[in-house]
Amino acid sequence: MGNDSAIHELVSACVGQTGAPITALRKIMAAHGHITDGHVGIVADVFNLSRADVRGIISFYSDFSTTPRGRRHIRICQAEACQAAGCRGLTREVSEALGLGLGETSEDLAVSLEGVYCLGLCASGPSAMVNERIIAHATCEDLLP
Amino acid sequence: MSRALVPSETLANALGANELARELEARGYEVVRSGGFGLAWLEPMLVIDGQAYGPVRDLDALEEVALGPVDEIPAIARQRRIVFDRCGRGDPMDYDPAWLLDQLQRSPREIIAEIRASGLRGRGGAGFPAHIKWQTVHDTPAPRKYIVVNADEGDSGTFADRLIMEGDPFRLIEGMLLAGHATGADKGIVYLRSEYPLAAQIFAQAIAKARELGLLENFVMELFIGAGAYICGEETSLLESLEGKRGEVRTKPPVPAVAGLFRQPTLVHNVISLCSVPGILKMSGAAYAEIGVGLSTGSMTFQLAGNIQRGGLYELPFGLSIRELVEDWGGGTRSGRPFGAVQVGGPLGAYLFEEDLDTPLTYEATAQLGAGIGHGGLVVFDDTMDRMQQAHFAFAFCAHESCGKCTPCRIGAVRGKETVEALAAGEYTEDKIAVITELCDVMEEASLCQMGGMTPIPVRSALGIGK
Amino acid sequence: MRLDDPDYGTPASRSEERVSLAIDGASIEVPAGTSILRAAIEAGIPVPKLCASDNLDAFGSCRLCLVEIEGRRGVHASCTEPVRDGMRVRTQNEKIARLRRGVMELYISDHPLDCLTCSANGDCELQDMAGAVGLREVRYGEGENHLGAAIDDSNPYFSFDPGKCIVCSRCVRACSEVQGTHALTIDGRGFDSSVKTGAADFFGSECVSCGACVQACPTATLMEKSVIEEGVPDRSVRTTCAYCGVGCSFRAELKGDQVVRMVPDKLGKANHGHSCVKGRFAWGYANHPERVVKPLLRDRISDPWREVSWKEAITEAAARLKSVQAEHGLHSIGAVTSARCTNEEIFTVQKMVRTAFGSNNVDTCARVCHSPTGYGLKQTYGTSAGTQHFDSVMRADAILVIGANPTDGHPVFASQLKRRLRQGARLIVMDPRRIDLVRSPHIEAESHLPLLPGTNVPMMNAFAHVVATEGYVDEAFVAERCDRESFAAWREFAAQPENSPEAVAEVTGVPAADIRGAARLYASVKNAAIYYGLGVTEHSQGSTMVMAMANLAMATGNIGREGVGVSPLRGQNNVQGSCDMGSFPHELSGYQQIIEAGVREKYERAWQVKLLPEPGMRIPNMLDAARGGSFKGIFIQGEDLAQSDPNTQGVEAALGNMDCVIVQDLFLNETAKFAHIFLPGTSFLEKDGTFTNAERRINRVRQVMRPKSGKSEWEAVQELSAALGYPMNYQCAADIMAEVAALTPDFAGVSFDKLDRLGSVQWPCNDGAPEGTPIMHEAQFVRGKGRFMLTGYQPTDERTSRKFPLLLTTGRILHQYNVGTQTRRTRNLEWLAEDQLEIHPSDAELRGVRTGDRVSITSRMGEIVLKATVTTRVAPGVVYTTFHHPATGTNVVTTDLSDWATNCPEYKVTAVEIRPANHLSDWQREFQQRDARQRELQPAEPAAT
Ligand SMILES: Cc1cc2nc3c(=O)[nH]c(=O)nc-3n(C[C@H](O)[C@H](O)[C@H](O)COP(=O)(O)O)c2cc1C
Ligand code: SF4
Ligand code: FES
Repeated sequence: MGNDSAIHELVSACVGQTGAPITALRKIMAAHGHITDGHVGIVADVFNLSRADVRGIISFYSDFSTTPRGRRHIRICQAEACQAAGCRGLTREVSEALGLGLGETSEDLAVSLEGVYCLGLCASGPSAMVNERIIAHATCEDLLP
Repeated sequence: MSRALVPSETLANALGANELARELEARGYEVVRSGGFGLAWLEPMLVIDGQAYGPVRDLDALEEVALGPVDEIPAIARQRRIVFDRCGRGDPMDYDPAWLLDQLQRSPREIIAEIRASGLRGRGGAGFPAHIKWQTVHDTPAPRKYIVVNADEGDSGTFADRLIMEGDPFRLIEGMLLAGHATGADKGIVYLRSEYPLAAQIFAQAIAKARELGLLENFVMELFIGAGAYICGEETSLLESLEGKRGEVRTKPPVPAVAGLFRQPTLVHNVISLCSVPGILKMSGAAYAEIGVGLSTGSMTFQLAGNIQRGGLYELPFGLSIRELVEDWGGGTRSGRPFGAVQVGGPLGAYLFEEDLDTPLTYEATAQLGAGIGHGGLVVFDDTMDRMQQAHFAFAFCAHESCGKCTPCRIGAVRGKETVEALAAGEYTEDKIAVITELCDVMEEASLCQMGGMTPIPVRSALGIGK
Repeated sequence: MRLDDPDYGTPASRSEERVSLAIDGASIEVPAGTSILRAAIEAGIPVPKLCASDNLDAFGSCRLCLVEIEGRRGVHASCTEPVRDGMRVRTQNEKIARLRRGVMELYISDHPLDCLTCSANGDCELQDMAGAVGLREVRYGEGENHLGAAIDDSNPYFSFDPGKCIVCSRCVRACSEVQGTHALTIDGRGFDSSVKTGAADFFGSECVSCGACVQACPTATLMEKSVIEEGVPDRSVRTTCAYCGVGCSFRAELKGDQVVRMVPDKLGKANHGHSCVKGRFAWGYANHPERVVKPLLRDRISDPWREVSWKEAITEAAARLKSVQAEHGLHSIGAVTSARCTNEEIFTVQKMVRTAFGSNNVDTCARVCHSPTGYGLKQTYGTSAGTQHFDSVMRADAILVIGANPTDGHPVFASQLKRRLRQGARLIVMDPRRIDLVRSPHIEAESHLPLLPGTNVPMMNAFAHVVATEGYVDEAFVAERCDRESFAAWREFAAQPENSPEAVAEVTGVPAADIRGAARLYASVKNAAIYYGLGVTEHSQGSTMVMAMANLAMATGNIGREGVGVSPLRGQNNVQGSCDMGSFPHELSGYQQIIEAGVREKYERAWQVKLLPEPGMRIPNMLDAARGGSFKGIFIQGEDLAQSDPNTQGVEAALGNMDCVIVQDLFLNETAKFAHIFLPGTSFLEKDGTFTNAERRINRVRQVMRPKSGKSEWEAVQELSAALGYPMNYQCAADIMAEVAALTPDFAGVSFDKLDRLGSVQWPCNDGAPEGTPIMHEAQFVRGKGRFMLTGYQPTDERTSRKFPLLLTTGRILHQYNVGTQTRRTRNLEWLAEDQLEIHPSDAELRGVRTGDRVSITSRMGEIVLKATVTTRVAPGVVYTTFHHPATGTNVVTTDLSDWATNCPEYKVTAVEIRPANHLSDWQREFQQRDARQRELQPAEPAAT
């Protein structure tokens, strides 16, 4: 793992902050896309937690993943306001077009499709996110590559 | 040179505000990125030299969407904007601390007395009288006390916290500093959901600015970003998460006001609750208590969402009816089909139908229906809504977001989901209804927190099962 | 048919304040802070529960313990609801019953329905509770479930079947709260929540196999493999573990005559229901096929062994000992007692020596571990024992751990210590190695002083310097409680510049600022406690160091109450007892000096013999004399001199030179290879008697199964004594303790009856303290005024040189125990199949050594070869290994230097050199040959059960 020392630095920089282990894991996700066993060891070591502790934290929060996500990470809101605005149909369309169900990643790691519960655009649904970009009144064309 | 206020707010940006700002700049306007007014259907809405335009798609066709002077837009003028009075009217970083510094001279006792007089109740969902928590934190001796701001805003149909943090972050900073001063807490942490990156950026900027202004010399302010868990909006789960752990709900007692973050007395408040504080102190608690009805005092930041013509945020005194909000303010469904149902108060709120629409929006009246106001979000559905599907979703959401600590919620939500599926597939209807009814009782009464405890509310109301 | 004691659901409250309430109409009074659940159960009102257990904090997750409280809406979990004055609670009504059934229905909807074939049938709380709430049917159809989850069988002793898990978190909480390892977590959330380790399976994880999770599990999810194989036990016997000096109480659970499992006893005052992997699981050696259960005899050690009757063995032993004495004189024979035997067994052996042998040539293996403790604490405080009970640590604000590795050596005490650290106590570790206490999940020492082996004394003198010169002396305490003159001398001594941290920084290898910081921390808190181990005693200056620590505690007023003190962590189960029972050559029971005429007279009257006034030989004297040819016969009970004593070649030479070596043990150990007569011993499961743990606690050891050899050790010794002409006439072990009590002031109040009644007592136990003495020196020191001793530093003669540039220090690991006689004959072997050498990366690199390489260790005494592990746990210049495997021969390289006062060997400091090597050392080759030869000489049929 060539960049473990960079990750170590990233993680150590969080020491002293409130909720630091979670912040550190978020930073690893941002830097590396997913969390490896090696990263677990680093976080455990820096915050003096057990590996089991870190595993427990990672698996609790939806933002964390131990497997890589697609380069195009599509998230479609599945919550009620977006349901009322048609997110079920939109999700079906996108899912069929990509051949992926919610929570799945294409084998070539090009795309992953995920549900999300509310992006705070509830008056203008259905809402979605593609990587960092937030989309209101989303349509299938907005989301597909 | 013309001055253009261009909202910098997630929804407006998603609808093209950034591009508009660039173009206006190129055309020689003095562009100010302001907060949003919250009128979603008009976004992106520009205010150029006091004149409002929206929704703006084409700068060359501005007049087609002219709305007149911004303060005369009825959807703004008819609101009672106490929390949102500044929001949308300029650069959020443009802040004069004089009033705040003045207020910080008042004694804690005086401030708590104003809060008591105002009758302010928590806007995060439970509607608990704020002053009791303030007094408890104030009175509990401890080496350290904290203010924790609940900006996890996970309820579908709500975005008030996001709007204020993006549009007037200093309102929250004022609330936090006043609460810290009144309770004796010297550290405040905002727990913000990760789905709100722009709010995070703007609020972080505001903290830096506050530091520059010398407001944080005796107070530590931190911003913490969550990691995707609805349950972390529940205050004890939030505290666990802030301690860097799994967000498993804690049992109460002790309540956070006695032993919260790191087991120290902690004032946990929703963003809007704290943002209501400056307005209360400005007008006096007694004057605030005059607004609204009964024990539902002051203004509520209602948010209209879902299948709605004129969705958005409307800050209004408690007491108007659901119908007024949905029909008069909201203009009915966006699809143009007949009204079907409205879910009030987020995923754990009740589905209400035509016959309930005249209920006034107060804590008391909604409670009568077995519903609640929650964080003030109303999600409108048209008549295509499938009640079984929504009941199924209520269980599914609980199954997805349950922290897993207690049995009724951890297993009950999944069994509920499966039973509704069986029901939808037409199996033994009567038996299944009986099973669901009993399961709802068990979840409501026996769950450790309101996640499992309130999931029966949307289920029962969607299925029309009486309590 | 539950074997365990009642569980009150939540821990007892320590509050003094009382609260009264009514539960189901009954008025009840309990301490404030008690949960409603506990109050109800204490009052005999049963309330169903699954996630609650009285050794864990209330958790409130199972929702079975719901009750109604008058005046409050809804139902409330009684485990998390504290009682309030005037509260009126209902634990039963139709609504509560319906809710409980509903919750149970949910549990069972995700649980296999195979109770009758389940290994926990009859011992399952889920089953009990389903019955208690009256669940009759589960109406949910087939749905999502965890029934197919794969079983994890990787741990040798227990299996994990997640398909049966109810996610109550009891295992996770036990691992964190009780054991303090944090090896378990809940993984995922919601319905996906499941118990996981931080690795692929239990064996590969951080789990230390203490068994707390298995104990905590209310279902068959975590289950002892022995129960799965043999079935749920049906009766139990309370007894005491025979491993380390913590002395945990256990319930041996049996099915018929077969021990099925050992379960830590909640009522045990040393362990409060906790245990470690050794006591909990590693008892299988008692039934190991290599157990020898018949007496063996041979003329020469090159002869094959011959099985003989007890009668023949005893007669022959007596005859041979007599003939040695006839030929070589009264003092040509002696005996060694063992810290693994019971007080009664030890007392009998020393009595046989002093009566039937007619000399004082008796010594104990405590010689090689804690003799300096006895000497040092006697000199300063007046009594040869630690000052505290274990629970005292829960009041300590700063804890100084010196030369001990509690998480490996004394795991159950370590768990308690870690709990205290998690509550906020501060920790200083003084040890050459970075032991786990220095930093491991959720605990961290504030200061680690990684001093060079052999420099304890200057380090402690520097602490004294800081105390004496920076105003940390507790003047009031010293003035009132201590001897004025000796204190004045000490203060002057401590203040000398050569004792300053700056002056000792170089010799100890620790920066002066770190030393000062640590000393200030120790001296400035309200309660500071010292815990130490063999890293203090096993030095040429072991006794000096014990006195230096004693001085420090006195000078800072840290003696005589809870939370303070000087506490040795004893190595073996009965080190304390073997010292107490009079098996040192110069002392009778209770440290009464043989040279004192009055003492002798008392024993002479009781025993009806004349005692010699002069002390007898210590072990090293006996071995010296044996090599010299004047000491020819020895009786060794339960001790493996040839492996555990230093300078193995020297010990072998001595044993080889004797005419009559009698060994009594479970196995043909290394020493038995030199023996002429072998008497089979009993395992702790077969013994009846007492062990005394490190806190002076006398615990009962009860017979769980009949002695496989047919005889208790004390019976065999009594017969041997009779054959030598001195009959003893004990009918049972209790008779022996009665005699000890009659002759020993500190034990005057001890009897088996009292022990059975109170569970255990800490000596002194007499008219002044009928229920024993948890804390010593409370009002005044045993010797009157506390005496300060001067502790000048005399460096050991063992120095590093160009030829031997590294310092070797030795110790042990969690899963093995001492010379491994027991643990090597259990599946604990799976954790460490061979001893390894720890070496720092810089030293390793210089020598081209990588982890896994074989290396030779040479010292001035000899050479051995073993596998290297490169690690920063040891500092540069220091190497470390264990001595659990005889084939390693660790003590081939250790020197024969020893403590100036007590002859305790200096195991902890040996100058060595390390080189890559691909051969066995000469000694190891010889060992293998001898081992093979001796195996051939064993009786043809392995004397199996
Ligand atoms: C499942 C669940 C989710 C919640 N989510 C939020 C939330 O996102 N934001 C919020 O302010 N309060 C939320 N709450 C309410 C909080 O627990 C708590 O009542 C609130 O933060 C208190 O602040 P207030 O008194 O200002 O309302 C939630 C409660 C539950 C049971
Ligand atoms: S009700 Fe659900 S979310 Fe709340 S504690 Fe129980 S399992 Fe967790
Ligand atoms: S419900 Fe989809 S954005 Fe809020």
